[in-house]
Amino acid sequence: MLWVALCFPRLALQARLRGCALPEAADEPWAVADNRSVLACSAAAEAAGVRPGSALAAAWVLAPQLRILPRDPGAESEALEAIATWAGQFSDKVSLEPPLSVLLEVEGSLRLFGGVACLITRLRSGLAELGFEAQLATGPTPRAALWLARGEAQTLPALPVEAIDPPPETLELLRTVGVRTLGELMRLPRAGVALRFGEALLCGLDRATGEAPEPRAFFTPPERFSAKLELPAPAGEAERVLFAARRLLVQMEGFLAARQAGVRACTLSLLHRNGRATRLELGFATARRDAEHVLRLLRERLGAVGLASPAEAIHLEARTLVPLAGVSPGLFGDARTEAEAWERLTERLQARLGSARVHGLATHAEHRPERAWRAVAAGEEAATAELPPGPRPLWLLEPPRRLAEGDFVLLSGPERIESGWWDGEDVVRDYFVAARGASLAWIYRAREGWYLHGLFA
Amino acid sequence: MDCLPDYAELHCLSNFSFLRGASHPEELVARAAALGYAALALTDECSLAGVVRAHVAAREHQLKLIVGAELQLEDGVRLVLLAADRRAYGALAGLITVGRRRAKKGAYRLGRADVEAQAAHGLLALLVEGDAHWLAAHFPGRAWIAAELHCGAGDRAKLESLRALARASGLPLVAAGDVHMHLRTRRPLQDALTAIRLGMPVARCGRALFPNAERHLRARVRLAQLYPPELLAETLRIAERCDFSLDELRYEYPEELVPPGETPAGRLAKLTGDGLAWRFPSGVPQKVRSLVDYELQLIAELGYEAFFLTVHDVVRFARERGILCQGRGSAANSAVCYALGITEVDPGRMQMLFERFVSRERNEPPDIDVDFEHERREEVIQYLYGKYGRERAALAATVICYRPRSAVRDLGKALGLEAEQVERAAGSLSWWDGRRVLPERLAEAGLDPSSPALARLAKLVEELIGFPRHLSQHVGGFVISRGPLAELVPIENAAMPERTVIQWDKDDLEALGLLKVDVLALGMLTAIRRALEFVGLRMQDIPAEDPAVYAMIQRADTVGVFQIESRAQMSMLPRLRPENFYDLVIEVAIVRPGPIQGGMVHPYLRRRRGLEPVVYPSAAVQGVLERTLGVPIFQEQVMQLAVVAAGFTPGEADQLRRSMAAWKRKGGLEPFEKRLVEGMLERGYRREFADAIYRQILGFGEYGFPESHSASFALLVYVSAWLKRHYPAAFCAALLNSQPMGFYAPAQLVQDARRHGVEIRAPDVCVSGWDCTLECGALRLGLRMVGGLSADAAARIVAARTQAAFGSVEELARRAVLDRRDLRCLAAGGALAALAGHRRQAHWAAAGVRREEGVLRPALLQEPALRLPPPGEGEDIVADYASLGLTLGRHPLSLLRPRLEGLGWMPAATVQARAHGSRARAAGLVTCRQRPDTASGVIFVTLEDETGCVNVVVWRDVAERQRRVLLGARLLAVEGRVEREGEVVHLIAGRLEDHSALLGGLAAPSRDFH
Repeated sequence: MLWVALCFPRLALQARLRGCALPEAADEPWAVADNRSVLACSAAAEAAGVRPGSALAAAWVLAPQLRILPRDPGAESEALEAIATWAGQFSDKVSLEPPLSVLLEVEGSLRLFGGVACLITRLRSGLAELGFEAQLATGPTPRAALWLARGEAQTLPALPVEAIDPPPETLELLRTVGVRTLGELMRLPRAGVALRFGEALLCGLDRATGEAPEPRAFFTPPERFSAKLELPAPAGEAERVLFAARRLLVQMEGFLAARQAGVRACTLSLLHRNGRATRLELGFATARRDAEHVLRLLRERLGAVGLASPAEAIHLEARTLVPLAGVSPGLFGDARTEAEAWERLTERLQARLGSARVHGLATHAEHRPERAWRAVAAGEEAATAELPPGPRPLWLLEPPRRLAEGDFVLLSGPERIESGWWDGEDVVRDYFVAARGASLAWIYRAREGWYLHGLFA
Repeated sequence: MDCLPDYAELHCLSNFSFLRGASHPEELVARAAALGYAALALTDECSLAGVVRAHVAAREHQLKLIVGAELQLEDGVRLVLLAADRRAYGALAGLITVGRRRAKKGAYRLGRADVEAQAAHGLLALLVEGDAHWLAAHFPGRAWIAAELHCGAGDRAKLESLRALARASGLPLVAAGDVHMHLRTRRPLQDALTAIRLGMPVARCGRALFPNAERHLRARVRLAQLYPPELLAETLRIAERCDFSLDELRYEYPEELVPPGETPAGRLAKLTGDGLAWRFPSGVPQKVRSLVDYELQLIAELGYEAFFLTVHDVVRFARERGILCQGRGSAANSAVCYALGITEVDPGRMQMLFERFVSRERNEPPDIDVDFEHERREEVIQYLYGKYGRERAALAATVICYRPRSAVRDLGKALGLEAEQVERAAGSLSWWDGRRVLPERLAEAGLDPSSPALARLAKLVEELIGFPRHLSQHVGGFVISRGPLAELVPIENAAMPERTVIQWDKDDLEALGLLKVDVLALGMLTAIRRALEFVGLRMQDIPAEDPAVYAMIQRADTVGVFQIESRAQMSMLPRLRPENFYDLVIEVAIVRPGPIQGGMVHPYLRRRRGLEPVVYPSAAVQGVLERTLGVPIFQEQVMQLAVVAAGFTPGEADQLRRSMAAWKRKGGLEPFEKRLVEGMLERGYRREFADAIYRQILGFGEYGFPESHSASFALLVYVSAWLKRHYPAAFCAALLNSQPMGFYAPAQLVQDARRHGVEIRAPDVCVSGWDCTLECGALRLGLRMVGGLSADAAARIVAARTQAAFGSVEELARRAVLDRRDLRCLAAGGALAALAGHRRQAHWAAAGVRREEGVLRPALLQEPALRLPPPGEGEDIVADYASLGLTLGRHPLSLLRPRLEGLGWMPAATVQARAHGSRARAAGLVTCRQRPDTASGVIFVTLEDETGCVNVVVWRDVAERQRRVLLGARLLAVEGRVEREGEVVHLIAGRLEDHSALLGGLAAPSRDFH
């Protein structure tokens, strides 16, 4: 048996940041924080003296430019599963060791990949392409491999006791009695250790040395490929989207390789602010799986379509797999039959007019009339805010039109609205209902004069 | 102007309706007066916490103030109640108390039945929302419907429906404003407060915000456009019916302190007589006798007997319980208080004039604060509650206000800034930045101060700072009344269970002339009592004016001594060279921001040394300043100068003192400046003298220290110095047993005791008690020094030990019923050394004890002995600090010395010996960072190493430039210039370096610092 342990000390950070192509993702100090303390930080942050566990306030003192992301535990476990899925191409015995590690049993795959050293190299470079930085180690037992990967030592006795990740009180006691390494720990009398540190510690040691067996559950990869990547810095240019997409395409490649399959089509969705999305359907003449090819196609498509607005996340999906060798002709073409007619209509309208120009309407709790409504996705049933008490026309002019004095007859009012200082668009207005020719108008007086803001039907 | 309608605002909230009102009561009053309102009702939500401030401001602006409150009943009725007379005021205060006492701190609960119960007592009611018929039924002829129009679209319809309601219920309509701010420009702040209250960003508050800024005090011309004239006129009728002023509140003393058949005066005279006989067993000196007679006469004239009796009763209780206490304050240092045992300051020892403290003209209540041992003050508080009941005794409030950091946090969230930015902005503020958000701080924290969001934040923060946030308990200001206190002022629940607090703070009480007794906690009293117990003496046994004590003080050898142990005091001592008790009184008062900012220190020192002639501009001024060589040092002197030199009445002088306390916040001293300077010029003083006095008054501001307090403190200075001089071990043990207190950590106190030849022994389960004790002159550290160990566990150890000595850790654990946690603490503190050997061994043994439901596992007894390698010296020292906060081993820096020398840093002793003006490079543990409350922005840092201490002065520019190092370093290295004045040596910092990393290396096994 030969185990490889992949340990990701910066998983919490990289799970959030790996989609960022920016140089700052690599060269600037970043940290993921939880409860006002640093959970994981980038190399640049570490160089400035920030360490996992530092209080945020202290971290800022050391690295004033430190940028903070809040912790997202969901993203971390998704990342670990993504790694496990990808690693399926190297072994069918992949085991999760949450929160930060993945274990592979590789005895059977060694020949295929040209020996341990080659395998390790391929793992390392592949993980780097996925956007994860790993500490790797091999060992005869899963636990030994795991500990050696964590502790970055050559042999078990040389490992610092921290590498076995004992409970805090055990670690404290080990320190106070002067035990720093696993070797020193193993030299203590067994009965004494059991009494003071509990059987669990001994059991772990025995599993590491192979004295006791360690049963492990293996990871079952999902049937379909679907992966999402949040972009902490929204990507406004095609290159940045492509960088992030490449992470997911490499991930998909691993997934497909493990299944000896390919795809004839996949969908990349760019998710924008306000829940809008751009869907890019990619179809291939023959089944493919290699990331670079798909990426080229994607680059062309993006170049043609362009980015409507910055993407805050991307989502890659491949529903139907085909064996890479064969081609199944019936698969392409009928995949979207479930779409409803109105969806097609709005899509068509959006395609014709631009996606930003077709939407639904809902009321919004705000005093400023121009902001008392909001656009919602076409067809969405949006929660509606209570309507304001005063008269409100259905048709608002945007922007309001300047009126000459004497161009209207005031009928009722004023309704004074002063609001909005917080976003720099403060309004100070007295609204009136007025007759303007034959129409009933909603007008207001501001510092600069009179304005027509709306027309009652 | 005359065509404008008169108007009285009857519904107005201040910022004491927390997170609703956006203006201070004073601002509302000033604005209402400026607009020519006939009256203003302050009607905070279920609170009278702001009315005294409004009252004081209204007096100043000659505006009629109406006291009221807005109430939201549980069934949805919202109304405003106004106090028409004293009886109605009592009913209102009582109603608020009922509502507040029922709910947790900050909330209230009231129903219709509660209002009905008080309806008969003359309260006027304005209905804001809800059932008009109900109100009409319970407030016949005293209820109105408030018509509050705010320029909404439905104003006209609203007025019509209110008219209909008025006809149906028979209640008249009256105009009201539902005022939330004094100016419309407070709209952003008011919106932000709403957002803070709702806990969401203001952009998401939507229609929970007011649609416009109309809830401000509107100009009468504007009101005339909005309201029908009869509704405005009605406000005046209501205002006229309100005939109550807070000035009517009269404080009545509790009665029970005078036995039946005696008068308060007779009782006080008798107690004073008894006291004199106790103080002067061999006969009362004539001088004291006549002083007492004079004081008693003055007390009787002003009617203050009951106050003195109340304080005496508290002090008597403390004395019976053996609780050390000491009075201070304007009336405390009188012969009567000496006789009553309220103070130990012998009036014969000082030339105090009682009249200086209790003034006939000023008609202000006497001020006595009583300090008690800090660990036992709770007993005194419980005594007061027990004696007078919770209906009659309560603590004054402290109004907790927004400070820069809390304001930035709350407003940052309200403005929707990201949590990270908010934390950054809040974190960028330092304790020395004061009330403003400085752009350079924001920039330093990586934020862009010119961004609109941060500019808005900075502006709002400045407005919000100083806004009340909630009411907390005053540290010890008790109000005790004859009748139910709730008829005087509302009482509400404090955060601590079973504690209540009144809605007024100490300034409010003072402004109304209500009396309070301050029951304060003072750690030094605890320490003095303990030290006296160690040496078997009483306070009065300590001989006065011992030259050895003054010699020690002149050397600034004062670590641990009350008050004069601070860095600033220590550097003053060798210059001032106190020789007698009165010098100590001056020393205590002179090292304060008041005298320092007023520029009094150097003239005083020069005159004291005879370098400058002592001159007085007049005999009258000489009378005031003679005892301080012509330089005003005490707060009382400044007040007296205003009287004798500028012709102020004592009452005006007192007003000046209050304004001084407030001028930094609000300004407004200019009228006083004019009066003061002109008054002095009229009396023939020179312009320069007058200007100098005015500057001194400004300098004194809120920081002036009264002689009356200084005198009481000086006594404790002397007593503690005497104990330190003659019984250093007992004094140190007493200080350690009274921690936390004072200026120095245990490590420094123990270091100092060792320098004075006291042998210190480590804590040891086989001999130590909970407290530190004396063993044939040596100081044995107690188990209280062991971090994390409970007093209960220590008590069990001591109890088990008295039966038989312990033979092993296991036996200790079994007989003293200790769990693993207790044992771990003992091992960490080195207290198991006698039973288990070195620290690693002790930890191994302690961890081996396993308790399962009270039974020890027998297997343990057979465990073979294990020999662990001993810890290195560095590891041991670090462990000492971690558990005990000090080490009895070598100083950590002596282990680092070779490295420090390699880096070119010199020990403290070398720095001390350097010549004035020479360069020096020192490194040491930072034992103290201090910024005296002066404007210059200097920071004092004390560095300690194995040879002593270096006093570092960091001027503002260096502090600003190297702020992070200055605040962050534990091991700080300073390169600078030596300044020497006699024995006082300072290192003026030029550059700072943080070498804290070296300390981390101490515990690491790979490095050996032997």
